Amino acid sequence: MVIRSRRSVFNMPVTLTTVTALIAALGLANDAHAQQSASDPKAMQEHIDALEKRLSDLESSAVLSEPETRVRKKEVWVDANGIEYDEQKPGTKKKTTYQRETAYRRQTIGEKIEEALASADESKVQIGVDGNIVMQYLSQTEGEEIEADGHAYELASADLFFTAKLAQNTVFFADLVGFSGSTPDEELTGSPLALNGYGARLDDPDEVNLREAWIQTELFDQTLKLIGGRLDLTNYFDTNVVANDETTQFIADPLVVNPMLGLSSNGAGLTAVYDPKGGFTFTLGVQQSSEDATNLSESIYTLGEVGYRARPFGLQEGNYRAWYRRDNSNEGPKQDGYGVSIDQKITPSFTVFARFGRADAGEDDSDRFYSGGFQFQKGWIINPQDAWGVGVAKIDLVDGGKEILSEVYYNLHLAERLRLSAHLQYAEETAAGAEKIAYIVPGLRFQASF
Amino acid sequence: MNTAKQFFIASGIALGASLLTNPVLAQHAGAHVQTTPGALIPDPAAVVIIVNRDSNEIAFMDIKSRNIVAKTFLGKNVNPHMAMMSPDGRYVVTGGTRANKAYIIETATAKLVKEIPVGMAPEHLAFSPDGRYYYQGNPDGDSVSVIDMVSMTVIKTITGFAEPLNITFTPDGSKAYVGNHGAHWVGVIDVKRHELLKKIQVAEVPGIAQLDPDKYLGEINGISNASISNDGRYLYAADGDLGVVGVIDTRDDKVVKVIRVGAKPWRAYMSHDGKYAVTVNNGDETVSFIDTKTNTVAATWPAGPDMTGVNFAAGKAFVISPSGFLYVYNMKSLRPAGRIKVGTNIQIETATTDPAEEKLYLANSTDHTVVIIDAKTEKMESVANVGLYPWGTHVMDSKDNYCH
Repeated sequence: MVIRSRRSVFNMPVTLTTVTALIAALGLANDAHAQQSASDPKAMQEHIDALEKRLSDLESSAVLSEPETRVRKKEVWVDANGIEYDEQKPGTKKKTTYQRETAYRRQTIGEKIEEALASADESKVQIGVDGNIVMQYLSQTEGEEIEADGHAYELASADLFFTAKLAQNTVFFADLVGFSGSTPDEELTGSPLALNGYGARLDDPDEVNLREAWIQTELFDQTLKLIGGRLDLTNYFDTNVVANDETTQFIADPLVVNPMLGLSSNGAGLTAVYDPKGGFTFTLGVQQSSEDATNLSESIYTLGEVGYRARPFGLQEGNYRAWYRRDNSNEGPKQDGYGVSIDQKITPSFTVFARFGRADAGEDDSDRFYSGGFQFQKGWIINPQDAWGVGVAKIDLVDGGKEILSEVYYNLHLAERLRLSAHLQYAEETAAGAEKIAYIVPGLRFQASF
Repeated sequence: MNTAKQFFIASGIALGASLLTNPVLAQHAGAHVQTTPGALIPDPAAVVIIVNRDSNEIAFMDIKSRNIVAKTFLGKNVNPHMAMMSPDGRYVVTGGTRANKAYIIETATAKLVKEIPVGMAPEHLAFSPDGRYYYQGNPDGDSVSVIDMVSMTVIKTITGFAEPLNITFTPDGSKAYVGNHGAHWVGVIDVKRHELLKKIQVAEVPGIAQLDPDKYLGEINGISNASISNDGRYLYAADGDLGVVGVIDTRDDKVVKVIRVGAKPWRAYMSHDGKYAVTVNNGDETVSFIDTKTNTVAATWPAGPDMTGVNFAAGKAFVISPSGFLYVYNMKSLRPAGRIKVGTNIQIETATTDPAEEKLYLANSTDHTVVIIDAKTEKMESVANVGLYPWGTHVMDSKDNYCH
């Protein structure tokens, strides 16, 4: 018979059998007494009460583990002889030291293990993986037949991330990416807007590429962030909350990055981000703009951006950014560009975005880029973490060429680490002096991240 | 008649009825805060209570002089978690997490007057509005101990919870709501009978959860707290795993709206004017401002890691991140308004705000200090050696008395 399912220190239900055994074990009664108790309910109750009190005392006062200790930074005063004082004395100087102290706290085994694991994790290199498979099919709907018509494509990519804490507010990060397969863009030569952003700004498809490798440190109460190494400047400039990630949002590159930024590849550089966590942020970056350059000074790509967080007209939060860039890598006319990137939440689930960019492309003329669209998240979706969006991008080139690319996607959040999304792209492209062509590109994307 | 007015009248009737039937209750409810001239702590409203987890004591800091005027040692390895003053200021209570006991301290003398065995690992607690009952949540025991402040004994242990954390009483004291961190429901307690009446599911677990056993079966991060609106009509219960805030109508204990916020919201904090419920979303390091009039998210902004609390003062919200920063937001424009660095390599815990809404008293555990922050100027002043590992603070009648 179970007398009471009160939990003991051992988290076991207390039964009559265990009560009797524990009474004996704790020396609360001799055999005769125990036998008497077994036949006398009142005596048994008294024994149970005594036992419960003993258990309570055990739970209340017994130290079940060694005392917790921690090392603490301490300000002390040290005299000329090296004698340390807790308080200031004549002839002493204030010094900083570290000392272990005991915390009079009963630490559970669970806590101890958790702390040890966290500490081990903190001191070693963290590894993350992001794997993607993108399948696309191109069907031409208009114009002179192109090579890609009727072709299917599959691209598999894997990013390996490495992060390690080096010092106070200083981390090292590296991203190795390898991808295999093909995208429609390889057969759409001359098309100004890429349908698939996975391979953009990487040097060698079908090889392992070092996408990024940098060291970041934070200064001035962590308001100024300095990042140096091999950089992907699109992580810091022209960002957008709903159109900035080919792995979870749009696949089409012009709906990820403004092509007027003119970043053809990642390279060595330095970025400074000043963010006092108020309304404004200021970002400045320089990067080697050409992989072929033999020195940095002749291939400098410089970029500056001002960002502002706002709630205009009582709307929800919005991010407004304006950037300007200059590239000195080519001889001849200057190569400046500027643009804006905006995302504005209209309702808690509905966000609109827009980009504009203009870049020098000749003596007195420039290419122009426009994009816009919206995203639904936390509303009008199947599962809570899903999102879907619609975007349109347009480019007008100096030579008269133009292209309009639109995309709609639905990203299904299957599990914490697995997503499946369906995409449909439609593009109309008119090369200079050529007939318009149009094509439709349905696609699927699997994304797994660890 | 509008529903708010109806509720107000109903609450008044209920309170009046209980006053008539319970003389002790009438005495408490009718009494103002009593000061005790000549006592160690003559005015309970003039001190900050500091929970020193690792020196196992409750410290009393004089607000004016910043001196620690008294410390009440609870016993070895007690490790108190949260403290609260009774509505009349006569007692301070705390739960000793490692001792499985509740402790009652007389404020005027700072003397420990009673140790009461309760359930496993007592942490968060609350007083009924009349001060008669002290509900102590025991998360490891899945129970709430009901302590009668007259007899200072446990008169009932309410079972059936799943890691009960914070407890919220309705203003009329008829019901108490318990956040279950080990489940996705809020427990409703009938305070008259001290019984678990209902389990309110704040939102459904999505069907797709079956594909994600690692997330949904590995560890549960349910509801920490049900935060009550100023009029007592609605509760805002954030569910960590589901990323939502369920709005519960206290009249019929039904969820009237489910609001999706950022990832892994810890809990909602009510702004003092009642206009916004602010959630700290530790999954994506954001804060969401819920407009309580429309029950929609008015803004979501970036914040910091592992946020533990929000305090409101001088027209601003101060969001605490243990990493050593307070993230500041303008409550009028609902825009970020900077960040206050408290220190490097420290761990800050929670804070309380004085009733005048001028100063924050922030527990800085690894430095054994309490940091006083002027809400208007954002200047800081540190009070050193308050005790070992200050885990939380409490000021009588503060609207920001909470724990993490």
